[in-house]
Amino acid sequence: MFIEIHGIKKAFGQGDSRVEVLKGIDLSLRKGEFCVLLGPSGSGKSTLLNIIGGIDSADSGDICISGEHRSTMKEKQLTRYRRKHLGYIFQMYNLIPNLTVRENIEVGAYLSDKPLNVDELLKTLGLYPHRDKLPNQLSGGQQQRCSIGRAIVKNPDILLCDEPTGALDYNTSKEILKLIETVNQKYGNTVIMVTHNGEIRHMADRVVRLRDGMIRDNSLNTNKLPAEALEW
Amino acid sequence: MGNPLHKRLFRELRDEAGKYAVIFLLMILSIGFISGFLVADNSMITAYNNSFEDYNIEDGHFETQKEMNRAQRKAVSALGIRIYDLYFMDEPLHNDSTMRLFAIREEVNRACLMKGDLPVKPGEIAIDRMYADNNKLSIGDTLESDSYHWTITGFVALSDYSTLFADNSDSMFDSIKFGVALVTPEEFADYGRDTMRYVYAWKYQTPPSGEREENDMADELMKALGKEIKLKDFVPRYRNQAIMFTGDDMGGDRVMMMILLYIIIVIMAFVMAITISNTIAREAGVIGTLRASGYTRGELIRHYMAMPLLVTVISAMIGNILGYTIFKEVSAALYYGSYSLPTYVTLWNADAFLLTTVVPLILMAAVNFLILQRRLRLPPLQFLRRELTRKKNRKAFRLNRHIRFFTRFRLRVLFQNRSNYLLLLVGILFSNFLLMFGLLFPAVLEHYQMHIADNLLCNYQYVLTIPLDALDEEHKLRSLVAMMEFVDGVETDNTDAEKFSIFTLKTTDERYMLENLMLYGVETDSRYVHLERGVSVSSAYADKNNLSVGDTVHLKEPYGEKMYDFHIDHIYPYDGALAIFMERTALNDVMGEDRDYFCGYFSDTEITDIDEKYIGSVITLEDLTKISRQLDVSMGSMMYLVDGFAVIIFMILIYLLSKIIIEKNAQAISMTKILGYSGREISHLYIMPTTLAVIFFLIITMPTVERGMRWIFRYYMVSSISGWIPYYLDPAIFGEMFMLGLGTYAIVAILENRRLQKVPMDLALKNVE
Repeated sequence: MFIEIHGIKKAFGQGDSRVEVLKGIDLSLRKGEFCVLLGPSGSGKSTLLNIIGGIDSADSGDICISGEHRSTMKEKQLTRYRRKHLGYIFQMYNLIPNLTVRENIEVGAYLSDKPLNVDELLKTLGLYPHRDKLPNQLSGGQQQRCSIGRAIVKNPDILLCDEPTGALDYNTSKEILKLIETVNQKYGNTVIMVTHNGEIRHMADRVVRLRDGMIRDNSLNTNKLPAEALEW
Repeated sequence: MGNPLHKRLFRELRDEAGKYAVIFLLMILSIGFISGFLVADNSMITAYNNSFEDYNIEDGHFETQKEMNRAQRKAVSALGIRIYDLYFMDEPLHNDSTMRLFAIREEVNRACLMKGDLPVKPGEIAIDRMYADNNKLSIGDTLESDSYHWTITGFVALSDYSTLFADNSDSMFDSIKFGVALVTPEEFADYGRDTMRYVYAWKYQTPPSGEREENDMADELMKALGKEIKLKDFVPRYRNQAIMFTGDDMGGDRVMMMILLYIIIVIMAFVMAITISNTIAREAGVIGTLRASGYTRGELIRHYMAMPLLVTVISAMIGNILGYTIFKEVSAALYYGSYSLPTYVTLWNADAFLLTTVVPLILMAAVNFLILQRRLRLPPLQFLRRELTRKKNRKAFRLNRHIRFFTRFRLRVLFQNRSNYLLLLVGILFSNFLLMFGLLFPAVLEHYQMHIADNLLCNYQYVLTIPLDALDEEHKLRSLVAMMEFVDGVETDNTDAEKFSIFTLKTTDERYMLENLMLYGVETDSRYVHLERGVSVSSAYADKNNLSVGDTVHLKEPYGEKMYDFHIDHIYPYDGALAIFMERTALNDVMGEDRDYFCGYFSDTEITDIDEKYIGSVITLEDLTKISRQLDVSMGSMMYLVDGFAVIIFMILIYLLSKIIIEKNAQAISMTKILGYSGREISHLYIMPTTLAVIFFLIITMPTVERGMRWIFRYYMVSSISGWIPYYLDPAIFGEMFMLGLGTYAIVAILENRRLQKVPMDLALKNVE
């Protein structure tokens, strides 16, 4: 398996106010798999994503990615791990306001030894005509496409998406999902996407449902649909 | 691939042109001025140091009452020195000043011709360049005295008069009422012998190897000379203020200038760091994303540090260019305003470059690194969640609900921006310090002049000169006749005249400047000095050397080793000179003179009936205020510069800090607009706290500034000048400072108010990037 997650536990607070967010998560993912993490607010899906992404730490358990164990990594190694393996997409686009679209994508390319061709990627993202614009000259969907570009330009092994369509309307959301699907198929990255939107499960290879910090369901999707076909 | 984040730097400079323009302005001005100062200072010090060799400056000089005869010259030359005639004559001019006339020097203490030509025929004169400047004289102008008339042919700097001290015991030089000049040897030879002063410069045949040896050699020479001739004055070079004062003083300003620059750089570093902190708060999501994507903390620290370092490098480059061109001239003009220095050649100064480029860069880097390192220590997740403090669940401080809403709101603005206000406090403290420095000195000098005029011992102090013949022990009869003539010649019918005896001794307390002290022996019931029994020291002396009643002062002969101890019984309120007052008979006893010995008169009216040839000098108000007059001339222009600089710094700091505060609150301001608050109400909420803070800081910094100023003033007076000017603080200065501060702030507040009105309403509704 490419990603192996064993017994991940995580709690916040102390004493009476202690809340166990993750109560022992076990999960394995294949390389190139598109996995959707579903669950209500507070189910622990974002926390799990952050722990996989190395920006949060588990109280116990281990994550092994491509043979590298996360639990033994120090901060510097973690940064290197993120730099080498991960691309992040958030609900907030977090683009740098005084860099152009192209330059925002180059910010991601700078981190990689083998970045994708920026112009080609801009065309894939449909942003080539807007490459010299600043973020505030773009629509929300275009900004999110730009942030996807920044995440994938370094050709990461894993693309972590935290509610990437949370702030977008239906049409724009579908556009973004199609793009992530294209990226997954074209570049073969493993995609883990956190979402509230249950319909998105149809485009995933694997659907994991969390509730109260535990996996309630972990199943492979045998009737995978293209993003284009999704309706909600 | 270069880090694409760096592309932001020039865009930020362009987008924030207003802010960076003032930062650049302040840093370029500061660095430029200090660089110019250091370049001029170094070039001029080099010119000054080289002048010892270039112009063959004396190792010392001595004065005799009479011209030395051949036998004496031979005997003196056998003491291991070579002597050179440096005769001069002090000629009172019609413009109320005194000109010291020398023949053109060929061998020792040669002159630097700065403009025009040296005199070639009688009736021509080359005068000191600084005296000419101060008296607005040009080449071709004429100078007149009762007996002579000259045409000015050139301006010179005499290498042994880089500071125009008329007498080595003077408290301060006087470049307004005293000048030096060269005439042709032929003309000089025609001058009368009555008023001629017989001064001989010497150079050691084997120069001393160090200060200590120079000291010892001078002491031995003085003793040896004393056996051959009767010395009227003996001044080794290292004790000659006219030669050495310049060198001592030039180095002294350097430290002060560097401290000034570094304080400004550190303040600017904090301004930059706070600006960056606010940027970090605004870009928290971006930083979180970058960190999550694999950017290291070091890369981000370097990225955010790039701007302050870029600003510093650009400022240092432009500042240094301006320093070598424009500001060098400004500083040189300041020096030329105080000292009569030879022409200088601009020298490349590696030290200046290091001190005005590398050190500011290190300071800027250190301050920003410390703050950024702390700010960026948080994990990426906290940036993504915009939790920019390590303290979780930080609670708002409680405010009594009885306090009006607007007041509570303002208090919250103050509290939220406390780090900015803390910097504002430091900035105001520093600016107030500079302002007070600029305002205080001229006020002190003005007060001193008035105070001295009101507290003169008398209008005229006549110091008499006993003729040498009267002291000639080898010819008793001639001596007796001469003494009788003297006693008869100095008798006066002026009823205001009152006899006194006067002696000069030297202070020995090495914690303070070693200088000459006047000892006055006055009549028991003097109408001019209201003495109590015992020894009284002047308040100037007590103040300068921290003396109190009960202390004992140890004094010595100026040119001998004999020591005298005086136990202080009273402090006499007199700031005109460092002096000791005693009853005449008692002082004469101590000094080994007859009890009825006297050598001067106090008088409120001019004494006209004593023989002028016995009047050595007349001390008037003009002599006593020489020190303040000269300080006024040499420091006056500097004070205006400091004042201007203080106001600029003050404006820039307040502008930057209030801009930062408004930028930080831009979203909240935008939201209050959406909620329906009027522009006036919003400025009450956001400008008023800054206004109140500025007023509060202006007031509370004043006592600290005053204490600091008092210390600096004392330090300067004790270490730098002979004599004493008491500290005086005109209360009006506080008012001036407050009004200047408030006026400056008012301009900034108007600008800020305009900025506030321009904050767009949609800002609060936009994505937080």
